[in-house]
Amino acid sequence: MNKILLGIILGTVLGIFDGATAWFTPAVRNEILGIMIGSTIKGLIAGALIGVFARLVNSLALGIIFGLGVGLLLAFGVAYMQHGYYFEIMLPGGLVGTIVGFCTQKFGARPSPTAARA
Amino acid sequence: MTWLSDAALDRLRLAAESPDLSATRYRLVDRIGRGGMGVVFLAEDQILGRRVALKVVDVPDESGDLAARLVREARILAQLEHPGIVPVHDAGALPDGRVFYAMKFVEGRSLREHAASLDSTTDRLRIFQKLCDAVSFAHSRGILHRDLKPENVMIGPFGEVLVLDWGVAKLLRPLAGDSASEVDSSAGAVPARPGTRDGAVVGTVGYMSPEQSRGESAALDARTDVFSLGMILKFLLGEPARVSAPVAAVCAKATSLDPAFRYASVSNLAADVARFLDGLPLEAYPDTLFRRAGRFVRRNQVVVWLVVAYLFARIILILFSRP
Amino acid sequence: MRQALTLQRLSPLRQEWIRCTLPFRSGVVHSEKDAARLRQYSVDGSPNSEASRGGFPLTRWSAILAARSGDSSERSRALDTLLAAYWKPIYKYIRLRWSKSPEDAQDLTQDFFFRLLDKDWLGSFDPRRARLRTFLRACADNLVSNHHRAGQRQKRGGGSPPLSLDFAAADGELSRLQPSAPPEMDEFFDREWARSVFTVGVERLRAELTARGKSVCFQVFERYDLQDALPDAPDRRPSYQDLARDLRISPTDVTNYLAAARRDFRRIVLDFIREMTSSDEEFRREARALLGADPPGSAEAHE
Repeated sequence: MNKILLGIILGTVLGIFDGATAWFTPAVRNEILGIMIGSTIKGLIAGALIGVFARLVNSLALGIIFGLGVGLLLAFGVAYMQHGYYFEIMLPGGLVGTIVGFCTQKFGARPSPTAARA
Repeated sequence: MTWLSDAALDRLRLAAESPDLSATRYRLVDRIGRGGMGVVFLAEDQILGRRVALKVVDVPDESGDLAARLVREARILAQLEHPGIVPVHDAGALPDGRVFYAMKFVEGRSLREHAASLDSTTDRLRIFQKLCDAVSFAHSRGILHRDLKPENVMIGPFGEVLVLDWGVAKLLRPLAGDSASEVDSSAGAVPARPGTRDGAVVGTVGYMSPEQSRGESAALDARTDVFSLGMILKFLLGEPARVSAPVAAVCAKATSLDPAFRYASVSNLAADVARFLDGLPLEAYPDTLFRRAGRFVRRNQVVVWLVVAYLFARIILILFSRP
Repeated sequence: MRQALTLQRLSPLRQEWIRCTLPFRSGVVHSEKDAARLRQYSVDGSPNSEASRGGFPLTRWSAILAARSGDSSERSRALDTLLAAYWKPIYKYIRLRWSKSPEDAQDLTQDFFFRLLDKDWLGSFDPRRARLRTFLRACADNLVSNHHRAGQRQKRGGGSPPLSLDFAAADGELSRLQPSAPPEMDEFFDREWARSVFTVGVERLRAELTARGKSVCFQVFERYDLQDALPDAPDRRPSYQDLARDLRISPTDVTNYLAAARRDFRRIVLDFIREMTSSDEEFRREARALLGADPPGSAEAHE
């Protein structure tokens, strides 16, 4: 499995999970479906971006930092649209980005040199 | 009568023991030590200009049994061309009538001496894997060593692992060029060449298998060497308290008193050691869900900690979320 | 100092024993008969045959078995062999282990070898269970213990003069060896046994090479392997060049003579060991015990 695909799958799964945890907050339970869809899309986009970065840059530290940054940025966007709950949204979002950044750097197949040259 | 000082005694002892290498291509350099039925000397091959080890029958025997055994050992070594087995260069009889063979001289230390300098379990297991490679190769040629122990394993200057002293090896099938009577397989039969009668005990106490210590020569197979290798593994790993459960399970399976419960072959034993080093499930240590999860956690600690941090953050936020 | 010998008041066995062992023990030939006997037994050791020269006698002669023979000449020959290898180790052992005075130790040693045959001690020796050295040491310990219990100085043959063994030489050797701390008795006895065996080997080699007109060969061996240092350079071992110069032969001859002498020495020593064992397995064990101890440090490189 290549790094981009790994990033997409991981980001999507974690996005679904992250959105589902909104069920434990009674105030937003009614909007759970919308939250999950939004979180899934956010996770997919973040995973794709982080996966592309991992394909281009082979550095665990930079991959983690990039993942954290993308996770925080996208989470900030969501929180801005919510007009609040910045901390509650950005903290988990940053952690999820970090997880995807680490995994795409550590795992996933790197493109072979001959394929790259071709 | 001549008074012989202690120093003279030692010189005479060495003089009486040293081989007569006149009319050979070898020049005696030093005495290395004593093997099973012979003494090993360091010599120089004056034609090729290299050092060799000469193993020479130590005492004369009227029956010719010792000589035949030494020649047999040389022929066994000649069949085993492997990086982990000392190659033999030459064999014959010296001018004083003693039979000898010449093999590669390895400057190194025995495993018993070398083990103290090994730091990690991984290093020890890597050496053990190389040892298994050599023994497994011999088994593929139908030859059991029967005297595996740390003293018979040499670690060379480049980290190579060499198995020495094949003097009591058992043939499961004839050597190339020999007749079927060479094989030490029939219980109680007197082989045409030296073999082990059923009932005779060969090997070293502490490393030989139970069936070997009972003298069941005819029943021995690869599992007897598996037992000895298991004991060597125990020696390498040291105190049981320091060893993880999977490795302890490998040792226990290899040294099982009943051959039926041991690894069926040396290659199976080596494969389990390789799996342990790769963090994979072992034949000797069956996987449970719990063990699998534990192995996953050990191999992916960073990811696991990140996920735990995420979950912890989520729980805290849920518990203390604003209405 | 050797004392005068009187045979008349001794038992026939004692007289036979003295006659047969005197030439060997004193190292001096007393008569032509003794000389002939010396040549027969002390030079070639085992039966003087071509087979024995090759180191593989056609028939195995064992002192252990011959000591129990009904033939008195066989018994005396057996005693010769056992004395050659063991009288000094036994004497020194009794002196050191039991702290006996030279006189007491002499008496006990004489008595030991007399009883060895007279009481057929070797009849209870089983080579599969113990080495002969261990057995004889145990016999010596029993003898000394019994003497202690008897509480008196044992006299041989009802007060006859002591037999002629060169105890002075043995005392001299002991004084050279006297260690600062009490030695480990096992190791000490084994070493003295090896010393006796090699001494016999050297003397037989000397006689054999001299008889074959190869005394130069023996001189090379003696100077290189027996002497600890050069006579005029106590801190230096002789080299091949030194020997070649002193003996007026070439260094190549030194190499060849030394190899030949060592070959013969090995054969002679192994033949002697063979005489003291009663089976091939026992012979191998004893030969390995004699030859197999690792010498301190490594051997000097051969030139």
